[in-house]
Amino acid sequence: MEPTLKLWTMVVVVGALNYLSRLSFIAFFARREMPPLLERALKFVPAAMLTAVIVPMIATPSLAPSGDAMPRIAAAVVAGAIAWRLRSDVATIAGGMLALWALKALL
Amino acid sequence: MRNFIRDPDFRAGFAEMLPINVGLTPFGLVCGLGAAAAGASFLGALGMSGIIFSGAAQVLAIELLAAHAPLAVIVLTCFVAGLRFLMYSAAMAPYLRTLSPRWQHALAFLLTDQAFASSVRRFDAGADPRAGAMHFLGAGFALWAWWQVTNAVGYFTGNLIPASWSLDFAVPLCFIGLLVPALRSSPALAASLTAGVAVMALAWLPMRLNLIVAALLGIAAGTAADFARGAWNRR
Repeated sequence: MEPTLKLWTMVVVVGALNYLSRLSFIAFFARREMPPLLERALKFVPAAMLTAVIVPMIATPSLAPSGDAMPRIAAAVVAGAIAWRLRSDVATIAGGMLALWALKALL
Repeated sequence: MRNFIRDPDFRAGFAEMLPINVGLTPFGLVCGLGAAAAGASFLGALGMSGIIFSGAAQVLAIELLAAHAPLAVIVLTCFVAGLRFLMYSAAMAPYLRTLSPRWQHALAFLLTDQAFASSVRRFDAGADPRAGAMHFLGAGFALWAWWQVTNAVGYFTGNLIPASWSLDFAVPLCFIGLLVPALRSSPALAASLTAGVAVMALAWLPMRLNLIVAALLGIAAGTAADFARGAWNRR
């Protein structure tokens, strides 16, 4: 498929599907009782999805040289600890980046 | 527009997102530079940030576009990544039930991880659904506008940022900030561990299909653990 057409088809289709996911229960299913199994399963979507996205980004990054997996894993653990203790996104990101730079300078 | 800018709840939501926008800045830059590297036009990059408006979906789409994955795989992966919006939508729905469809559609478009996290607290605190909706609109607008700016800047200046800064690492860090508070229960921990192990064990699957399979296995594991815990507590 021609690249420009492929990109815009993707933007429109993914955009529409994301929008329908966002709108789903707010507009369509608002007056209906949610099936109990679905309600139970939905609770675990963020934990499962985010982990599946994060782990490869840290362990096998496609944008960075593959040699520095160890400092990335260690820095991610530091960031996780900061997120657990402080519950602050800015502190998590800043702490994680500083940890990565420090570890890369040391190792 | 002026009515919105004067509204105290809109302003409060907008202001609450300012520090979060600081944290999301490297993420937006990475999305912009990634779109440029994948060969997207500037308009195409803005289409992704403005219409898809989801960092996770954009990063995955860029990666798969660069790898020349088929359109169907890109769409499916981004859809599965967006399944968490179903959960946010379900959680927001009771608070938005009394609003007009126009409000519901506008707020749904602006529903993101960050706007959800801040506004659920807000809706719980105040009984007036309109004040909560205004707060949500302010927060969503701040996130959307800054997301466009950082994506555009990243598109043009991303190649000036030295690779040794590892700016791309800010992307998983943003998600760690979202993930950790979601791990409060043991079933959620089971979902996360299963997804993490599965995504690495299935890394041999083509076109990042490991992500979809791992996410679904994680959801199944969390649900099963939740049932098991319920059965155990009833004994």
